[in-house]
Amino acid sequence: MAYLRLRNLSVEFPIYQGGSRSLKKSVLAKTIQGNIGRDAHNRVNVLALADVNLDIEHGERLAVMGANGAGKSTLLKVLAGIYEPTRGRFCASGQVCALLTASVGLDPDATGRENIVLRGMYMDIHPREMRARVDEIAAFTELGSHLDLPVRTYSSGMMLRLCFAVATSVRPDILLMDEWLATADASFLGKARRRMEEFVSASSILVLASHSIPILQEWCNRAILLDHGRILAIGGVEEIAAAYQKAA
Amino acid sequence: MLSAARSETGARVVQLLPTPPSRAAAAWRDLSDGFAKSWMWWTLALQDIKLRYRGSVLGPFWMTISTLVMVTAMGLIYSHLFHVEIATYMPYVTIGLIVWQFVSAVTSEGCESFLRAENVIQQIPIPYSIHAYRTVCRNLIVLAHNFLIIPLGLIVLWRPVDWRIIETGAGLAVLAFDGLWISILLGMVSARFRDIPPIVASFLQVAFFVTPVFWPVDALGDWKAIATLNPLFAAIDVVRSPLLGLAVARTSWVVLLGSTIFGCVITFALFARFRMRIAYWI
Repeated sequence: MAYLRLRNLSVEFPIYQGGSRSLKKSVLAKTIQGNIGRDAHNRVNVLALADVNLDIEHGERLAVMGANGAGKSTLLKVLAGIYEPTRGRFCASGQVCALLTASVGLDPDATGRENIVLRGMYMDIHPREMRARVDEIAAFTELGSHLDLPVRTYSSGMMLRLCFAVATSVRPDILLMDEWLATADASFLGKARRRMEEFVSASSILVLASHSIPILQEWCNRAILLDHGRILAIGGVEEIAAAYQKAA
Repeated sequence: MLSAARSETGARVVQLLPTPPSRAAAAWRDLSDGFAKSWMWWTLALQDIKLRYRGSVLGPFWMTISTLVMVTAMGLIYSHLFHVEIATYMPYVTIGLIVWQFVSAVTSEGCESFLRAENVIQQIPIPYSIHAYRTVCRNLIVLAHNFLIIPLGLIVLWRPVDWRIIETGAGLAVLAFDGLWISILLGMVSARFRDIPPIVASFLQVAFFVTPVFWPVDALGDWKAIATLNPLFAAIDVVRSPLLGLAVARTSWVVLLGSTIFGCVITFALFARFRMRIAYWI
């Protein structure tokens, strides 16, 4: 049974900038104390998630709401296993598929077809298996002969079609999405919507981060509200959406 | 409503989660899981080569040709300069340069193994080691293309090889393994400190001239130890000497294996400690 569990979880980012990016300055800062130490050590720590406790169980469709910088993306990255929490525990069961940005794993110089295989590979699908699926995915994108051209020649709409088609061609247990995928269907066809529905209903857990209340209301059955890395509230989508709008 | 949320999370905190595996165990799993996904790094390395030579007629064989031009030019001029028989010097410099190219490319590209994969590391949880395997694999493909020159040259000069060729194979295997820890170590350090890649680049430039890649070791006379204790020379020597039908310098295997073990231990310790910070660094 798929689940995601977070206990007292915090993520703290050291922001490296200027001098702390440089080995020379970091070494000098240690040897010549005081003088340039402050100068070279301008490390800033950002608390992106603070003491988060959350259980996401089988069948849940969780909406993640919050203003910009509230920690939505960081939460998704922790759930995906990309960021290891600096404190607290995280435990996941089930095959996770994270669709955080549209362009991930795309090689601009490779053709559309090659990119379908490349992207599939990053989703843990063997190129041989992916090649067998390329035609089905290619047909869905309706990009025709453009698929044999390098992806850098694509318009952003064409790129989105390609990404959408590949991303929705798998059936993971746990689906982590930023809003790009959910909004993709608005710019594309009715069949994209059906595909999206199949895609979501095949997963046992969905976590969707978005600013768009209508999208969250449509896809989710539970919601959390994040603010400065803390969970302010957990509850039904309507209830949390009201709190979110009141806060905004 | 806020209090409701608190009690809901509060009630769930009680049940504890299992302790995560130790850092060393997680690092080891990263390395073995990454290796098991050989199809992934193999495809990525192949894609790198394909893209580098897309649109050129000869494709990756350009590497072979450019190396061939380089060694011919160097062979002609430096054999005069060093007063060495060209038939002796040519194979010496050819093998030396080919092995050097591999070592230096793995080292300089190793710095970029994680930096180049930034958008993947930030989006998809795959073992970190895959990026290092990819760097090594890509350079092994390049090496294989350059290596074609060696049997051709040996046939043209009619220099038979003997059982010592096994030693060359072993040397190459150790070098590939060294490439792996170098890519992980430098990849990690470069992700944290952005001035490492240029430092490594200038180091390699100096190393090329102070290592007996294209000049004969014996020319050092009493100072021979400078060369024989140099791990970069050891790396070249264990591949080159057996192919030339010569004995490998007594120190070479010791120096090479010693630095391999030393590098592995340091790399593993740092990888275990800082592996999960890589995503934060890049």
